[in-house]
Amino acid sequence: MTTVLGADADGAAGSESGRVAITLSVNGQARSVEIDPRTSLLDLLRERLGLAGAKKGCDHGQCGACTVHLDGRRVVSCLTPAVQTNGRAVTTIEGLHGPDGELHPMQQAFVDHDALQCGYCTPGQIMAAVACVEEGHAGSSEQIREFMSGNLCRCGAYVGIVAAIEDAAAKMRRT
Amino acid sequence: MTALPFPDTVRVDAYDKVRGRPIYGSDDVRPGLLHAALAVATIAKGRITGIDTKAARAVPGVRLVLTHERMGAIKSAGFLMGGGYGFQSFQPMLSPAIAYRGQPIALVAADTLEQAIEAAHLVKASYAQEPISVTLDSPGVEVVNQADTPLKNFIPEIVAGDADKAFTEAPVKIEAVFNCPPQHQNPIELIATVAEWQGGKLTIREGTQNAEAVRHGVAAALGIAQELVDVISPFVGGGFGQKNSLQMQTVLAAVAARETGRPVKLVVPRAGVFHDASFRPASRHHIRLGADRSGKMVAAIHEVDAQTSRHDLFPGEYTATSSRLYGFGSFRGVERLVRTDVQTPGYMRAPFEHPACFAMECCVDELAYALGQDPVALRLANDTATDAATGLPFSSRHFAECLRRGAELFGWAGRSMAPQSMHVGDGSQIGWGMAVGAYPGLTTPTIAHLKVSDDGEVVIGIGGHEMGQGIRTALADAISRKLGVAAEKVRAVIGDTRVAPQHLTAGSWGTASAIPAAEDAADAMLKALAELSPAGVAGRTPAEILKAAGRRSLEVEVQRKAPGQPDAIFGRLRAGLPSVGGPVYGSYVTFSYIAHFVEVRIEPGTRRIRVPRVVSVADCGRVMSPRTAASQVRGGVVWGIGAALREASEVDPRYGGFLNADLADYVLPVNADIGSIEVEFIDKPDTTFNSAGVKGLGEVALTGVAPAIANAVFHATGRRLR
Repeated sequence: MTTVLGADADGAAGSESGRVAITLSVNGQARSVEIDPRTSLLDLLRERLGLAGAKKGCDHGQCGACTVHLDGRRVVSCLTPAVQTNGRAVTTIEGLHGPDGELHPMQQAFVDHDALQCGYCTPGQIMAAVACVEEGHAGSSEQIREFMSGNLCRCGAYVGIVAAIEDAAAKMRRT
Repeated sequence: MTALPFPDTVRVDAYDKVRGRPIYGSDDVRPGLLHAALAVATIAKGRITGIDTKAARAVPGVRLVLTHERMGAIKSAGFLMGGGYGFQSFQPMLSPAIAYRGQPIALVAADTLEQAIEAAHLVKASYAQEPISVTLDSPGVEVVNQADTPLKNFIPEIVAGDADKAFTEAPVKIEAVFNCPPQHQNPIELIATVAEWQGGKLTIREGTQNAEAVRHGVAAALGIAQELVDVISPFVGGGFGQKNSLQMQTVLAAVAARETGRPVKLVVPRAGVFHDASFRPASRHHIRLGADRSGKMVAAIHEVDAQTSRHDLFPGEYTATSSRLYGFGSFRGVERLVRTDVQTPGYMRAPFEHPACFAMECCVDELAYALGQDPVALRLANDTATDAATGLPFSSRHFAECLRRGAELFGWAGRSMAPQSMHVGDGSQIGWGMAVGAYPGLTTPTIAHLKVSDDGEVVIGIGGHEMGQGIRTALADAISRKLGVAAEKVRAVIGDTRVAPQHLTAGSWGTASAIPAAEDAADAMLKALAELSPAGVAGRTPAEILKAAGRRSLEVEVQRKAPGQPDAIFGRLRAGLPSVGGPVYGSYVTFSYIAHFVEVRIEPGTRRIRVPRVVSVADCGRVMSPRTAASQVRGGVVWGIGAALREASEVDPRYGGFLNADLADYVLPVNADIGSIEVEFIDKPDTTFNSAGVKGLGEVALTGVAPAIANAVFHATGRRLR
């Protein structure tokens, strides 16, 4: 039996073992887990919840490969303590597709513009790109370049990424 | 077949990548998995005098703490360029010796990653320190002339004519020294291993460019038969040369998995990737270039000092490319290796060719200004059909077409020659510069299995690794055209030692090696299908032929090697050893070429250099996959911008290691650094080189970008960057 020792501002519950019970929504599904309070959202997703789409490239918030949406805003999940997500909604690349599995316009645009090579940074790029459009930061190619500069692509697919975002932004505004 | 260009098809693995499918080594999660973390040396050289793991072992969840005292009978797998399998011959944790800062001294395996990281921080070591030498100029380095070592047997010195005499007598002389800093590949995928033992067999999952070396290297290190090791690496999250051999963590993860009886995942942190894997060594280039008054280059002397480690000689091959840029009247190359206290440096995209072209092409621009000649015209006037180093013809060389087409696309004719002569309204200085690059045409032996089934499935199992260059797409395009099936029906199984020997994929030889082998396999399949179908195969798919013949499936195997290689090369291939042929193939020499045209703008207040526009035209033979090829070139240009303006691994000679060992302080190009990059291909097949007419592309793309930028900066400012 878990003894609740206290609850933080987000309502996360501590246990005797030092582990913390949290419940969060991941891609629309409620997930309840007991975690080490040091666990990052990235490690929670990858190692516990079977969602390896978000990638570890630096673990320091410097590369953007781990970008996911937290309550609709883009965050680097490696610098987001998993306990902070208690009661909140996380969307990952695995949850971006439509109800019948069809690609999100941004995913399709990344395919169409070959906005990727090795693919490792791609989930983070796409999550950041969707947020970039939703934030209203995709007004011009210059603005896209600035607001996508938190996501490194070592293969150097930047030209394709900007083209994909311009393409998808027009489609996202129509829907 | 080679007469027709290939269509612009979608990258075949793009859908898996945009959906975030778990296709990379460290995406693997399996029952009972332990997580490992490393403790690393906090001195740059010496030995461990004591190591205390008590506190680490006391952390809840910790299952194992490994140190050099507990590794058992493990040995080094040897150095890739010394007959072995590793990125260096020095395997950490086999002795108390410390060869460089950041070297692993202990591994902790625990139930969770958080426990492993906490425990690794609690490992305490005491050391006896020794003095270090970590830069080219540090006291205590040892300088080795490569030509005085056994390396000269497979990396010939480049000497043609009497370059010293010709230089002395030349009426126009350029002499300059260029310093290139150490740089790190930094693929975004960290180096990582998931190791699992089942019934005495070991399975390694990791992103690697060389699954066969990982397999044989781990087997050699553990002292077990290579048949007991499988390596699975279907996708690499970027390699750029760093993942070209057995990494130090693979053996450690394998031992930890064996000791605990559980699968172990070891993801090396970014700082570890700077210290526990290879990098581009520091190099210094002394160039002397002599010309007659008409501009004919009569002499070039290229002397290189390049960094290596104390424990290995990382061979230099800089002058093999600088000597092939022009029809030099004479040439002398010198490669010296400087032993320093670092992990062994290695191959980073265009490892030699990028610095070599930077140095030589900056000097050629200086020569153009010394002569008062247009830089493009000077280069065209020094083009050649004959290799100065060997006297042999080039199998193909569309160097002049790259220059002419690039100049046309860029609008080079609108350039004014004088430095500081072009400005825009906000006061920014504009510079237009150009340079060329070249990369040797290399080939490796390849074994391919092709299977067609009556349900329409086509599977090719072949040596090769997909690291973003698009080899899966090129394979699908080639098989699709030969067999008349849709490209999306072709499945390529690569990076997997269970299906075919997996030679190192690097050196831009992947496509030029795999595609001809795949086409051979397809031809063998067509022949086999014809035997099944006396009525002929024309206009029918393999599945239709199989169904008519009542066969479920049909399988063929072919092998192919580089021109001139002996049959024994297949033994080396199966043994996981480098088996590279070229660029000299008996009666001809093969290189790929590219010309880059760059505009820079220097902002008036900050003097910040921006690169708004690049035009690149490449001669890589036949283009197998236009879409992925163009992406490769754009990526190479981004690399060149980073190499010229951003990237340097900083070294403190007092402390060793690398100071800026993360992605905030090692400054990679970001999206806002990149403007327009226009790419074209000559797309003429080189059928002397191979039946598919394919030369290499991934590395030549980077060569020549940095000097084009430096030359543009000179044009804007009148200052030479060296």
